[in-house]
Amino acid sequence: MKLLTCPMNGTRPLSEFIFGGEYREGPDQNTCTDAEWAAFVHNRSGAPGDKKEWWYHSPSGTWFIAERNTLTDKVSRTYLLGANNNNSNTAQEASK
Amino acid sequence: MQVSNMKTISQTSPVAHAQLKSNAKWALVNGINTAVEFGSAEVEQARKKILGVTDVSCLSRYGVKGAQAAKWLAERQVTTPANPNSWSVSDQNTLVLRLGGSEFVLEDQFAGSTCARLASDTNRVPNVYKVPRADAAFILSGSEVLNMLSELCSLDLREKSLGAEEVIMTQIAGISAIVLRQDLNGEQVYRIWCDGTYGPYLWDVMVEIAVELGGGAVGLACYQS
Repeated sequence: MKLLTCPMNGTRPLSEFIFGGEYREGPDQNTCTDAEWAAFVHNRSGAPGDKKEWWYHSPSGTWFIAERNTLTDKVSRTYLLGANNNNSNTAQEASK
Repeated sequence: MQVSNMKTISQTSPVAHAQLKSNAKWALVNGINTAVEFGSAEVEQARKKILGVTDVSCLSRYGVKGAQAAKWLAERQVTTPANPNSWSVSDQNTLVLRLGGSEFVLEDQFAGSTCARLASDTNRVPNVYKVPRADAAFILSGSEVLNMLSELCSLDLREKSLGAEEVIMTQIAGISAIVLRQDLNGEQVYRIWCDGTYGPYLWDVMVEIAVELGGGAVGLACYQS
């Protein structure tokens, strides 16, 4: 069984989670060029590697960030998105 | 079950659709048509000792969330659990479930009135949001309850894994549910809440397994006395 650790609810089967897409920080829309904005909106990097991703724990309605290597499918860290958030889970045995 | 007409419309338990074929005795509890007996008292007590499934959806509930929700409840004399994903009893008759950090579900037990009191407070407060609840709720009792839960849930819900004050939000039979363990009248039971629209499905699944294990449906009357 594949497992993932929700920062609020602990380690659960992957079946309780929904993938929410890659988390990407966009350019400052007030200062970036049209080309930069268009690249952010339309382009994605499909190269495997370490990515930040949105995941959703559906029984509790919790959205969080998982840092996952899409080549090895190993999750290194999950945490709630927030400036002062220290509630992270590291070194998980996720995606075994 | 009573047949409603335009003058006597009353709510019905969200689980009722699955219970209609069981020849249960129905009664209005908290204004909601609820199955209160599925058999004689002796039969129900025997089921309850092995594996009883009881529909308690008629209990009053109140949901509130937001950054100031805990403070708002404290100002209204509701004691809230200190830790996320835990539960406590307030005012002796109201279960208070803390879901995550800032969401609360309150459920009045048979003699409680806290939910009605909170619902009557319609003043809007910043960072306090009412959450409408439409749950199906169940009590599972008996010696075989863990055998049933092991068929329905991938988490270990035994006493040593599920703390006495812990609330778990997980999937039961594939649907999202809230689970806790409680000592009720000296007996260890499990409480389950899920979205009301899944109530009939979950009832059918749980009763089917309960019958296989020697238990079955138990009416609400067993817990009212």
